[in-house]
Amino acid sequence: MLRKSHFNIRKFIYDTFDKDAAKVVFEREGIWDCTTCSACLKKCPKGVDTTGIVMGLRSLMVEDGRIPPPIRDALKSIAIHKNPWKISAEERSKWAEGLGVKNISEGADILYYVGCTPAYDARLQKVARAIVEILNRAGVDFGILGNEEGCCGSEIRRMGDVWTFEYLAEENIEIFKKYNVKKIVTTSPHCYNTFKNEYKGANFEVQHYTELVASLIEEGRLSFTHQIDKTVTYHDPCFLGKQNGIFDPPRKVLTSIPGIKLVEMDRARERSLCCEGGGGRMWVESEDSEDRLAKIRVGEAMDVGAQILATSCPFCLLTLEDVVKTGDLEESIKVMDIAELVKEAL
Amino acid sequence: METAEIRIGVYICHCGINIASTVDVDRVRDSISQLPNVIVSRDFKYMCSDPGQELVRRDIKEKGLNRIVVASCSPRMHEPTFRMTIQQAGLNPYCLEMANIREQCSWVHEDREYATAKAVKLVSAAVAKVSLLEPLEEKEVEVRPEALVIGGGIAGIQASLDIADAGFKVYLVEREPSIGGHMAQLDKTFPTLDCSACILTPRMVEVERHPNIELLSYSEVIDVSGYIGNFHVKVRKKPRYIAMDKCTGCGMCAEACRMKGKIISEFDVGMGKRSVPYIPFPYAVPSKYTIDPENCLFITKGKCGKSPACKDACSSDAIDFEQKEEIVELDVGTIVVATGFDLFDAREKPEYGYGLYDNVLSGLEFERLVSSSGPTQGKIVIDDKEPRDVVFVQCVGSRDKSVGNEYCSRVCCMYTAKQAHLIHEKLPDAKLTVFYIDIRAFGKGYEEFYDRVREEGVRYIRGNVSEIIKKGDRLLVMAEDTLLGEPVDIEADLVVLATGIVPRKDVKEVGNLLKISRSPDGFFLESHPKMRPVDTATDGIYLAGCAQGPKDIPDTVAQAKGAASSAMTKMARGKVKVEVTTASVDTFVCRGCGRCVEVCEYGAPNLEEVEPGIFVSQINDSICKGCGACSVVCPSGAISMKHFKNEQILSQIAAVI
Amino acid sequence: MSEEFEPNIVGFACNWCSYAGADLAGTSRMKYPPNIRIIRVMCSGRVSPSFVLKAFQMGADGVLITGCHPGDCHYIAGNLKCEKTMETTRKLIDVLGIGEERLRLEWVSASEGSKFADVVTDFTNHIRGLGPILGKSQG
Ligand SMILES: Cc1cc2nc3c(=O)[nH]c(=O)nc-3n(C[C@H](O)[C@H](O)[C@H](O)COP(=O)(O)OP(=O)(O)OC[C@H]3O[C@@H](n4cnc5c(N)ncnc54)[C@H](O)[C@@H]3O)c2cc1C
Ligand code: SF4
Ligand code: SF4
Ligand code: SF4
Ligand code: SF4
Ligand code: FES
Repeated sequence: MLRKSHFNIRKFIYDTFDKDAAKVVFEREGIWDCTTCSACLKKCPKGVDTTGIVMGLRSLMVEDGRIPPPIRDALKSIAIHKNPWKISAEERSKWAEGLGVKNISEGADILYYVGCTPAYDARLQKVARAIVEILNRAGVDFGILGNEEGCCGSEIRRMGDVWTFEYLAEENIEIFKKYNVKKIVTTSPHCYNTFKNEYKGANFEVQHYTELVASLIEEGRLSFTHQIDKTVTYHDPCFLGKQNGIFDPPRKVLTSIPGIKLVEMDRARERSLCCEGGGGRMWVESEDSEDRLAKIRVGEAMDVGAQILATSCPFCLLTLEDVVKTGDLEESIKVMDIAELVKEAL
Repeated sequence: METAEIRIGVYICHCGINIASTVDVDRVRDSISQLPNVIVSRDFKYMCSDPGQELVRRDIKEKGLNRIVVASCSPRMHEPTFRMTIQQAGLNPYCLEMANIREQCSWVHEDREYATAKAVKLVSAAVAKVSLLEPLEEKEVEVRPEALVIGGGIAGIQASLDIADAGFKVYLVEREPSIGGHMAQLDKTFPTLDCSACILTPRMVEVERHPNIELLSYSEVIDVSGYIGNFHVKVRKKPRYIAMDKCTGCGMCAEACRMKGKIISEFDVGMGKRSVPYIPFPYAVPSKYTIDPENCLFITKGKCGKSPACKDACSSDAIDFEQKEEIVELDVGTIVVATGFDLFDAREKPEYGYGLYDNVLSGLEFERLVSSSGPTQGKIVIDDKEPRDVVFVQCVGSRDKSVGNEYCSRVCCMYTAKQAHLIHEKLPDAKLTVFYIDIRAFGKGYEEFYDRVREEGVRYIRGNVSEIIKKGDRLLVMAEDTLLGEPVDIEADLVVLATGIVPRKDVKEVGNLLKISRSPDGFFLESHPKMRPVDTATDGIYLAGCAQGPKDIPDTVAQAKGAASSAMTKMARGKVKVEVTTASVDTFVCRGCGRCVEVCEYGAPNLEEVEPGIFVSQINDSICKGCGACSVVCPSGAISMKHFKNEQILSQIAAVI
Repeated sequence: MSEEFEPNIVGFACNWCSYAGADLAGTSRMKYPPNIRIIRVMCSGRVSPSFVLKAFQMGADGVLITGCHPGDCHYIAGNLKCEKTMETTRKLIDVLGIGEERLRLEWVSASEGSKFADVVTDFTNHIRGLGPILGKSQG
């Protein structure tokens, strides 16, 4: 019995030495448990591409049609609506109504790529709106793709559907080219990561919004008028921190907000613990029955006396907040996106 | 070029029947005799026999031959023989060319017709080349009877003592205020558990007393020029601000200093404190104090109270803030590089929490902790408490691509076993666990030692630790036991990381200074991994100890003795032959592009400014090895290779087809 | 293709590993076709493109260069330098219509007598199969 899951990457690798890989995945438990956080990939002393292997094995299952129903639905939804949330593409830019956000077709320095979850999820729409407000306040010239925006494909790829991913990537690159996009800012570290590291033949600059906001503060283009007298801790999203080395900009933003006392959890920065929201895990339930790591994480935040657990990733926000809600912890700790804190302090 | 007429003698050997049975020797002899400038063409049963050689010598004298071709076995076999033969007859030994008609003809072919035709071609090529060969002078350079040893760890100490004992002068340059290196920091040494100081101190004292050794401590080599036999070296002696000849080593200055006990001790790797005037450790050599300029108030701020307390305290008036750095110039014949290693910085593996938790120590910190001369006098205490559970993590920073070190550090398995044993000895009730990937106990007595430690109750778990986190005031070490395929969580109050051996931070600069290369692991590269393990590609420069790669003390000492003996061999003869078939530049043709400088592995070519703004390459033929790489890249065709000139090789090509 | 075509092959072998490997093929009495004639150079890194071109110009049908295995070169990296030079030389002879397959570079150690024999046999057969260089007579 393993710590939390039956998933053991070594067993998968060794078994495929002399057995048919497809057979191995079908027989073994746990292939959907990996969150592709890449903690093991970063540490592996022999440079084994563990997460790549996980994705490859999953693709065998997808190819064979042996996919858990929620994943099948998500894939279908992407084919029809260009988002995994089964909502019409026509409603993609509803969140922005009344905000007066420019469409990228009118020309802008920066494309704000919103992402599926911030576009459709009621909780995350608040984050998207906060980002718009921040960028407006700083006088940034940006636009969005509106209903033309489609899924970036990051999660689809991690669920094993490489074919749809490649299709989405090509289509997105075409759209970016059409509007002559030179720089993209994303809400989600997952979109950020896939644009930066997995889109072949792309020639645009990508930034996570925390990087942009940090530089706006540095340049004096953003200043704060409100005080937030709270103890805050920051959860590093795996796709931003571990995988892309972005540790300081989010912290810089937080410490620039007047009143905020930033405390660090034991597992911070490279040592951060995955919340278990990535790698398609927003759709598939784990085969294990244990608590999600998010629960441990919220506990760690409370241990260091944080009143606010801040993060900068849509999936982290949802998984962490879920723990707070279902655990009746709302009195003790609040989960917020950095963008929301910044907006509050403007 | 031709001053005298070329007169060639060709000698075709039967090698008993080895050649003659497949090659029609008579036919070869006859067709070769038709070639221009061939005065005699003969065949003989055994050319290498005395009568065979005599035949050549007689013809040279009687027929006035000045170029000789011997068609027989491989030149790798008998070229030296026939060079000597013609030299005895008064010819320059380089006026010889051999045609290999045995190994590369009669022995590998069966068809007599084809083999004979081929032999004719091979001999014709040799004739073509020999007509263009020029006499070459063998050169020897003198080797000064002085050696420079860089680095005063156990490797440098051993090499210095051996060379000095053989009667040569040694300059030992050590960067730190004392010699001793890492070995001085160790407590006991595996596998025999001798106390490190007990075996090292006598050697250090010997260095200090040796009439043939001049120790330049607190000094660095800043420039090296020249070549084997005659290196010119500049050494910077840093100011100690304490006169060496006056300081008695009493330590009154350190006692009196206003900063006493406030400076982190490098020797105790941050675990202890020292004063600004300091000796690194009690048995340091030389036993003289040094004022640490970075922390001295007087040096950094220009003012220390009313007057420097150290100065007032020193009864021999040794403190001297006027001291300046000094450049010492040395001429030496050979150089031994023994600059050792740095310890891997475990902060590069953040999952282990090193630098974050006070109770996660590096292997070297632990050595200081158990040492009776260390900050706790050898008591194993963490936060004033004796640890109940201790975890060791092996391979930290070694065998690990994620930090760019693929190699094994070769000492950490054993020093972990040793350290576990030392804790067991002092705290028999402590629970000890070692996480490992593989155990490498390859030396004499090592496996036995490892077994003994396991029998003492140390638990060895195979598996790499994934993370170490805080649990209350203890640590939680998490890993997978890969033999069982199960997760293990172990609580600990002390974690010791078996931090590996990495190249010195300044290894690149030192390498450039000496023009020696490094292997992919970053350590200095030996000339051949098996046959020339202490030589570098630069003649006269030898490697000893961890500068060349991770190793334990026995291997370090053995290699140091090897390096010393190589240096001594050259100095004992006082002369070395240098390569004759070197490159030379036609300075009228050279356009100064510098490509030869770039391509040469040995630093033989150099651009020299002959007129303002005009550079030409000059190749030092005491350094050149004659590989020919420069002549290939030279875009102006300015470089020719002696004995392998373009026209010589081209003539061979034309003749073989 | 005519049955009698016997190609002319020029070999360049470095003194330290591959020339010794060729000698070993001899001392072990291995057999290979007699078409090759070896010219000894100190290092494969000494082989200049002009040698290769000269060989083809003089009528060679193939050129085989042998050097020490990477890491074993007596002069540290002459073999790797040769590899780089020959990459461009190969392109050049292709442009000249000689065909890049007619130039081969192989690593042969002093202990690889049998590899030397195999390489030579294989290369000779290969060139024999290719036939003479087209238009050689005009060149
Ligand atoms: C934690 C630990 C425990 C160990 N335990 C054992 C053990 O029990 N048994 C065992 O056999 N081995 C042990 N070893 C290995 C042992 O320490 C080494 O084999 C040995 O110290 C190597 O000696 P060295 O002279 O090559 O290098 P070093 O000891 O590193 O000495 C190099 C010297 O050169 C000087 N130097 C460096 N650069 C320059 C420069 N540019 N100019 C002038 N001087 C310079 C340095 O100041 C230093 O004095 C252990 C190693 C470690 C890390
Ligand atoms: S990505 Fe995360 S869950 Fe997957 S194998 Fe690596 S560490 Fe484990
Ligand atoms: S001058 Fe002052 S600080 Fe410097 S060594 Fe002397 S007492 Fe210490
Ligand atoms: S000696 Fe042992 S601990 Fe050190 S790197 Fe090698 S295998 Fe790892
Ligand atoms: S022949 Fe080789 S060693 Fe000599 S100068 Fe040229 S490149 Fe350097
Ligand atoms: S010496 Fe053989 S290739 Fe350089």
